[in-house]
Amino acid sequence: MLSRPLTLPLAIVLGLALVVTLFPVFWIVMTAIKPPTDWNATPAIWIPEQPTLVNFRTLFDPDAIREYGVGGVSQPATASVLGSIFASVIATFFSILIGLFSAIGLSRYSTMTKATPLVILSGRMFPPAAIAVPFVIIFSVTNVIDTYSGLIAIYVAVTLPFSTWMLKSFIDDLPREIEEAAMLDGRSRLMAHLTVTIPLVRGGLFATTMFIFILNWSEFMFALVLSYTNVTTIPVQLAKYVTATAGTLYGVQAALAVLAMLPLVVGGFMIQSHLARGMTFGAVKR
Amino acid sequence: MNLHVTPNTDGADMATVGNEATPVAAAPPVKAVGNLGPARFFAVPGQIVSLVVLVMPLLVALYMSFTDWSPTRGSLAEAYFVGLENYYELLVYDTRFIEAVVRTVLISAVCLMLEFTLGLGLAVLFLREFRGKAVLFSAFLTPMMILPVVVGYTFWMLFQSNGPINQVIALIAGPGAMPEWFRSAPFAVATVIITEVWHWTPLFFLILLSGLNAVPENPVRAAVILGASPRQVFWQVVLPMLKPVIIVAFVIRAMEVIKLFDEVFMLTRGGPGSATETISLYIYKLAFNDFQLAYGAAAAFLVLIGTLVIINLMLLPVRDQLLEARR
Repeated sequence: MLSRPLTLPLAIVLGLALVVTLFPVFWIVMTAIKPPTDWNATPAIWIPEQPTLVNFRTLFDPDAIREYGVGGVSQPATASVLGSIFASVIATFFSILIGLFSAIGLSRYSTMTKATPLVILSGRMFPPAAIAVPFVIIFSVTNVIDTYSGLIAIYVAVTLPFSTWMLKSFIDDLPREIEEAAMLDGRSRLMAHLTVTIPLVRGGLFATTMFIFILNWSEFMFALVLSYTNVTTIPVQLAKYVTATAGTLYGVQAALAVLAMLPLVVGGFMIQSHLARGMTFGAVKR
Repeated sequence: MNLHVTPNTDGADMATVGNEATPVAAAPPVKAVGNLGPARFFAVPGQIVSLVVLVMPLLVALYMSFTDWSPTRGSLAEAYFVGLENYYELLVYDTRFIEAVVRTVLISAVCLMLEFTLGLGLAVLFLREFRGKAVLFSAFLTPMMILPVVVGYTFWMLFQSNGPINQVIALIAGPGAMPEWFRSAPFAVATVIITEVWHWTPLFFLILLSGLNAVPENPVRAAVILGASPRQVFWQVVLPMLKPVIIVAFVIRAMEVIKLFDEVFMLTRGGPGSATETISLYIYKLAFNDFQLAYGAAAAFLVLIGTLVIINLMLLPVRDQLLEARR
């Protein structure tokens, strides 16, 4: 009803918006394949004449960059890549598992008070800065500081509001009669949820899993203040590169940035059709 | 028509399913469902996690905020209880804190309004028909898929004095017009806002577009038949129906932008001076650079309370609708 063809002036507006949207992505990818001489040239070099993968190699072999006469990176990024994968995957698994139970509870049973969903959501309103301080103390006392279990526990807690609310909005879309039919067939309540509800929301479940992974993979402040040597993640590594060697290692930093955003961009496109639905917590009616 | 109400109190809500809308024929009492104990069971894991990992640290922080503790002075148990002194200091004397609060609120408000306007404009453009729409849709969502730290780092490169943004400015307005983005307070604040708006306009675009696509056709058709202009249809029929979606989009973004940290940390570290210091950055510096943990905890608490109040006020108009989405 509202749809009409795109007129030329509007097409130009759309084109400009596209350029603005994609330019920073273009820039970071170009910087990642620039040889050291092009990193911080004046005037800036937009497209390197001799693109190279040396920045990516340097991430895992700190000496690779020496062939260009540039000093090596102090430490390889390998540990942070593995650390990010490990912490994000495990934390996502638990956040989804626990969130799924909470979502079923909120969507299907009325035993909790009406405000429970809002109380759960308020977990997302805590500024990380507000809870980072007590975590440092509690974790120091209990010796879980600088361990993956500590970091994962926090990741689960801070993503739980989103996993619960997103999954709830997908389960809300299913009519209850489906589970009741299964129960009339003699299945227990739990089995009805496991064999009927969960398979039916698998699209939403996949989208939520991907979204929670994106949140965990992107998390910065907790990883920054709760890790020293044993635990490291990509965002922390990236920030370290900037402070320790600002102005000298643009290309290597950009290579790590490209590596960090690649899984999220790919994963994000896979879930985009479900994302709006989950993000609005059901305010968009189908 | 209602299903028979079972005596099983756990499933009280289940008893009301399939009311008027679905006159199901099979309506025997759903009784064989009570072998799992209370249905509360489902929420227990989530509640344990919230209690242990969120509430417990908050209680520690609350206690801490009434003391003068800092790690240089031994254990928390030895700290001296100072009552509301930290809070008094923050609210009455700490201009840096007050400024950070005002700054964060202003940056958040500007970002939200810009993101909403641009996102709505883009979403409206996407109501039109053109080729390659699906590909462009994905392209416009790209920024929100990128880590905040990477976004901060990328824009830090873009805003360098010899970076591409200044190159374009020089091309248009001459070399004299190139600002030193990170050396002047207003320009540094601008970099933060531009970065945030670039990063999160796609979220508004995504949510508003899916809201627009879900607008029922009949009221729109009726308005057109009654002679409304496209403009009137949009402002007086479509937008009011979009209100809950708009509010939820604002709430979700507000929850995150109030915590603004990662991008600013990478862009300016709060500088020059404290010109771009957000509340999160200020608390981070208090606690982890100056080791004023008790004072930082008090600041964190004020922020937490403020955030909860603001977000809940924003949620108020859609509260019931969101909570009653259960069927």
